[in-house]
Amino acid sequence: MKRTVFFSLVIVAAMLIGVVPAQAKKTILTPFDKRDWHVIAPQDSDAPLRDYAILYDAGGVDGAVGVIGIPSMRTYRHIRCGTDMHNFPFSGSNAGNNNGTPDGKYFYVSDKGADTIIEVNIQTGWPERIFALPKPFGIHHSAALSPNGKYLWATGELTGHMLKLRLSDGATTVLDIPPAPSAPDYPDTGRAGKYVFSGNYYHSAVMVFSQDPFKLIKEIPVGKNPHGTNVSPTNRIVAVCDKLSATQSIIDVEKLKVHKVIPVGAGPLHNQFDTLGKYNYISCFVSDSTSKIDMQRFQLVDEFPIHYRVGHNSIAPDNAYYCSQNKFSTGLFTPTGIVFAVNFELQDIDETSATYGKSVKLIPVDGEPHEGRQIFATYIQRWNTGKGQEMFSKGYDLGDVHISFGEKGRPGLPANIHPQLEPIHVGNSSRGWIPRDDGKPGITKEGDVYVVRVKGFSYGYVPRFIHVPQGAKVRMIYTNIDKAAGLTKNPDVTMGLAVGGYYGPRTFLIGVRGFSAYAEFVADKAGEFEFFCQHFCGPIHLEMRGTFFVDPPGKQASLSVGDYDEISKQEQMLDVREHEFIVGTNKLRNTLNEGHEPTI
Amino acid sequence: MREMRIFLAVVLGAALVFTTMFAQSVSADVLGNGSAITDCLQIGKITSIGDKQLTIATQFEKKSKNYTLHLLPECYVMTARRGEFKKFKELKKGDLIAAYGWYKDGKWNARRIDILDKNDYLIKRLAADAKAGVYYKHER
Repeated sequence: MKRTVFFSLVIVAAMLIGVVPAQAKKTILTPFDKRDWHVIAPQDSDAPLRDYAILYDAGGVDGAVGVIGIPSMRTYRHIRCGTDMHNFPFSGSNAGNNNGTPDGKYFYVSDKGADTIIEVNIQTGWPERIFALPKPFGIHHSAALSPNGKYLWATGELTGHMLKLRLSDGATTVLDIPPAPSAPDYPDTGRAGKYVFSGNYYHSAVMVFSQDPFKLIKEIPVGKNPHGTNVSPTNRIVAVCDKLSATQSIIDVEKLKVHKVIPVGAGPLHNQFDTLGKYNYISCFVSDSTSKIDMQRFQLVDEFPIHYRVGHNSIAPDNAYYCSQNKFSTGLFTPTGIVFAVNFELQDIDETSATYGKSVKLIPVDGEPHEGRQIFATYIQRWNTGKGQEMFSKGYDLGDVHISFGEKGRPGLPANIHPQLEPIHVGNSSRGWIPRDDGKPGITKEGDVYVVRVKGFSYGYVPRFIHVPQGAKVRMIYTNIDKAAGLTKNPDVTMGLAVGGYYGPRTFLIGVRGFSAYAEFVADKAGEFEFFCQHFCGPIHLEMRGTFFVDPPGKQASLSVGDYDEISKQEQMLDVREHEFIVGTNKLRNTLNEGHEPTI
Repeated sequence: MREMRIFLAVVLGAALVFTTMFAQSVSADVLGNGSAITDCLQIGKITSIGDKQLTIATQFEKKSKNYTLHLLPECYVMTARRGEFKKFKELKKGDLIAAYGWYKDGKWNARRIDILDKNDYLIKRLAADAKAGVYYKHER
């Protein structure tokens, strides 16, 4: 009996324990999460109301920079900047991985279409200055900041030049990079203030420059058509994506030679180191994957599948997430017009997470985004609750460090003004779409109009060289004759045509299959201008090039014959009352005192 | 015969001297040999704290090394996990940190200090790898 009662009690007790509801999973605040207002707790929801990091993505053809929350992947806003935005560093220092060591003041985004660099104030969220680069230049990237944050390096992909820019006033040193053809492309700076590295896809080499004095030291042969070229946060190696070799070349920064070549996925394009330099994540366009490289073993250790042709990429500042910034969205989203949305895909890279290696978010994105960089939300202050005045006077604190914009302004920016610039996207031209034009490619004259018919395909143009006289009325008709993207066979391939620089905002033709795009404008400034495809169309997209010559009376335009001093003023980008916010120009070309411009 | 020996000794001596000179003139062999003072990222535990300077003992290497880090005026301290800014005085002995900066004029100048979280997957990974003989900055 006693035994029966005992067992019954045991059973009842066991049942009671069993029915006690499981305790809800609590969000536990650690000392790391003690807040200021936007240090957020880890949340069980996968769509938190507040994001702990912000992804800025240079939006390419939409002329804007997207502002996207991490990890929610919600688009907060767009910052209108120009015509064809490519990539940028945050101001502060290049110490660390690609995200650098920001001070929260600015980022500098390159505009390939207009051939400028736009300075965007992160605290106001608007452009404040335009760096008018010396012409002819033909910028692609401005990826590289000096360790002390005072200089920026940019690549003149379209003319074979490299440039060092002093951020205080826009003064420059410009180097010619022979032999032609030469295409300096993705640059990065050594974290020790010694070297600048840049891939050159026509030379299949990585060029090495000294930072001060800025000069070419050597070229290091790497795999075929190098693309992303990035220095590790330790500054021990440079990782080079050998786009057409499906390898990664590892350059020893001390010895300045290739240390190892690692097989990776097909079509490697861009690197993202984590903040400790343990892993490097590579976007692989052709294999539709992310290659994960262990930088201690120099081995491929994992590969994550992604959707639809990844191009650029970015990594969260705490290394928890990786964003694949993809180039096509064939059949994925609801149609919204002629130009399709591309997509961003968030991948969980926390090795202890249940969803490690999986894509956890996929969102449509407008434009054709290029480089993205991420920053903790803690850098961006809440100015709109009455303390906005402090932006002009006190500034803000990052721990012990006080950040100030300066009460008396600074060179190129008048005192006590944070301008709200909106650089002109498309100016002084008429553009649109007409039924597919199957006329013969070339130039004909109809009345007083020069009609230029150009056909675009994977990966080239017919004709590649176009001459019109200065002052000509030009009607450019552009037809995409592809049936699908080369190699990848995406049927919705769009072929672009943008004449870089002065005519960038006047052309920017979007060649959608089945339509022809046209632009009408007056070729009033003489010079030699490269044209390129501004819509990603496949792995050789970057190499799609041609040249538009506007010949002055009695001469043939070239890189030395043209109205370059006038063009360099970039006045078409802003309203006449805002020209004071344009700095640099040909006046300050080669005015840096090289050897006395220290970078650390 | 004696002249020959002297000649050989001189030649060998000269070769030795040239080899030594050459060995000193080529770049340092950093890769694969653990951390170097010229690295721009150091990971370690704080062993002492001074006036705007820290000494760390590096972690996850084959053999720990000690470096003194001098904080630049613009150097800030933050948590690596959520980006919360901290004061320098909040750092404690034993904290695991990542320091970003550069070596110049005999000093390692810190531009940013990240306080690392020992529960972070990367820290767990570095620790597990080191335990298995794959040491940080001993690239293969």
